[in-house]
Amino acid sequence: MTAVLAFRGRRKARRSMVRGLAHLSDEALVALVARADAEALAELYDRFGGVAYGLALRIVRDPSLAEDAVQEGFLTVWRSASRFVAERAKASTWILTLVHRRAVDLVRREQPRRAEPLAATPQPTVEDTEEQAWLHLQRDRVQEALQRLPDKQREALELAYYGGFTQSELADRLGEPLGTIKSRMFSGLARLRELLTEGGLERDPWNARESTS
Amino acid sequence: MERQGIHELSAAYALHALDSDEERAFEEHLAHCDECREHVAAFQETAAAMAYDGGPAAPPAALRGRILAEARSERPKVVQLGERRRWAFPATAGVAAAAACAALALGIWSLSLSSSLSDERAALDRAEQTVSVLAQADATRIPLSGAEGMLVVNRSGEAWLVVSGLEEAPSDQTYEAWILRDGDAVPAGLFHGGGSRTIVKLSREVPEGAAVAVTLERAGGVDQPTQEPVFTSAQTA
Repeated sequence: MTAVLAFRGRRKARRSMVRGLAHLSDEALVALVARADAEALAELYDRFGGVAYGLALRIVRDPSLAEDAVQEGFLTVWRSASRFVAERAKASTWILTLVHRRAVDLVRREQPRRAEPLAATPQPTVEDTEEQAWLHLQRDRVQEALQRLPDKQREALELAYYGGFTQSELADRLGEPLGTIKSRMFSGLARLRELLTEGGLERDPWNARESTS
Repeated sequence: MERQGIHELSAAYALHALDSDEERAFEEHLAHCDECREHVAAFQETAAAMAYDGGPAAPPAALRGRILAEARSERPKVVQLGERRRWAFPATAGVAAAAACAALALGIWSLSLSSSLSDERAALDRAEQTVSVLAQADATRIPLSGAEGMLVVNRSGEAWLVVSGLEEAPSDQTYEAWILRDGDAVPAGLFHGGGSRTIVKLSREVPEGAAVAVTLERAGGVDQPTQEPVFTSAQTA
């Protein structure tokens, strides 16, 4: 039997095993949240709260504003879980999108705070090593992909996503026509998507198997 | 031209980078444009991946309790039965499913069910080993096609599948990993999926020039794959 490590931390595993939530997919947890199951919300928070808070902090640069963004994001999850459509999006995408929007709205309201987006700095966090290993892999993957983007595309995406700048603010800031910024953002995000999803399958090993056996 | 213009906005919308009047207009457009909705969904997934770039930060411990207290204090939104979504996957909940998983897995969370301390310690040792391998800079990370995640192979050929969001296998079925090489498929272990992510150590080493595929098979596994793969890896170098 293969060793299966369903990667929940030890402490977290305990907590959620009370009702056996640890084995549920993120989407199944959202379905429970839609039925007002607060423990399912807690489990989602345990899975994504750290990443969400790290993101919010990078955008708003203020711990208490970052908390607000995370809290409002998760409460939106609570209130609108019944509208989430699992076929259309991953739950993690939905949650991180909600928190991102809240954080950007907050930073726009606090206009004077905004300057250069904070560079990503490693944050000592989660005591749980499995979680760290996973996040480390995710981070490497995203950083590699971002590094492979043309500089101008990367700049536009980073200023928008981490800096909270709108397209027209970016056009002003970079001294370029709005149309240029729009296409750059589109092609940059499309390219990033390719880089993150490309399977690198030059030759399909599965069909190679079938044709020879 | 206008149409192209609107499509382009899907990226900025996903990044929350439209000006507010533009955003409102685009949302109206979204309501009746399937194509743009698909673009937005794909772009939001990509944008959300950027959230992992900075790494997590530990939120203040009180935040969790505050969110839960606030959630509980709000009147639960009553969902009418007719509106309840049908989920594409089976076994989303239930004690039976949890028990089946626990029996199958030597996993971290299954050990919470077992009362044996030595089992627990052994599983934790295994987890730590896995983690140290995954963090090794010289481990090769090979992309997957059909699932989000990667195959991690260390220098000696030991391999781990790291998959995000893999639905739990139905209770009468199991995921089975295969090592594909020279036209053969060799079984490399069973696992059950579920949870936020699955990390599975393969029961066999992955040699150079091989790939790994995963199929959904009947419980207990089979000697040769009977199904199309759920996902495959690229070939190892």
